[in-house]
Amino acid sequence: MKNIILLSILIAILAAFFASSNPDGLEKVAENLGFIDRGIERSSAMTDYSIPFIYQEGISTSIAGILGIFIILGLFWATALFLRKRAG
Amino acid sequence: MHIPDGFIDPKISFGLMGAAVAILGYCLNKVRAAVTALAPQEAFAAAGRGIKNLAGRSRRVLTKLGEQKIYAMGMVAALVFAAQMFNFPIDKGTSGHLIGGVLAVVLLGPFAGTIVIAAVLIIQSLFFADGGIIVLGANIINMAFFGAFLSYYIYVFLKKYILEWQSIAVAAWCSVVMAALATSLEIGLSGTFALSVVTASMLKVHILIGVAEALISVALIQVFRKMVPMGEGQP
Repeated sequence: MKNIILLSILIAILAAFFASSNPDGLEKVAENLGFIDRGIERSSAMTDYSIPFIYQEGISTSIAGILGIFIILGLFWATALFLRKRAG
Repeated sequence: MHIPDGFIDPKISFGLMGAAVAILGYCLNKVRAAVTALAPQEAFAAAGRGIKNLAGRSRRVLTKLGEQKIYAMGMVAALVFAAQMFNFPIDKGTSGHLIGGVLAVVLLGPFAGTIVIAAVLIIQSLFFADGGIIVLGANIINMAFFGAFLSYYIYVFLKKYILEWQSIAVAAWCSVVMAALATSLEIGLSGTFALSVVTASMLKVHILIGVAEALISVALIQVFRKMVPMGEGQP
């Protein structure tokens, strides 16, 4: 279990530093065809996988990614805990 | 392939939201049934709950295996989330990233796998503004239903005729192409752009991204199975 979590964190950090920053398939198609502007820009706690007050991009995205991993793990862990508690 | 708000007509978005809720409800029920068992009488007696309670409605309790299944879902979700951050270059100025639908359903079965992808999409939308809110249903239909749920049955069908890793690869490629087609259809029907043009452009890119999805899925499934020995693919 621990090693999958560590692997996920490693992938997130590598992604933060080495992932391509080009638009993905859908964004590129929308750009080429000229309807990208129809998309509504939204902001959120960690918009574009970055922490608002950390300006070093790689570090910012690494932390955002790691937080995301723990939010997701927490969601499933909490579900298991809830079901177990309910069983008494 | 996360659609932002604005690309899809609100009526279509809400319709797909309804469809997504129905599919996820169905999958959640299936998973709940799989991870729990009817509480045996001994368990009640041991818990000192008295005989009267037994006459009431039967309760389902989480099994040991069920608990492990939920932890496995969390791990697959974390892995898919991290892997989706890794955009790889595809073509001039274009990148692609894993969807992970086939990865999830091969490791967890169709119901748990679909929930895992939907959970990742919901977290991405809420916390990272990756993919819209109103179009969340559309994104779930595209990537969790077509990309995971339906692709599972392609994988199962292919496995009868070809090797498992080959089935994973082909199903993964199909999952990306199906998700791209569904996305194109939604954009086209919304009147955002001509359906035929969007579909052709989307296919052209995602036929390539699908190849990467196939390779990464085969590799990550191997890695996951090495790291987490468990029964595979039980729903």
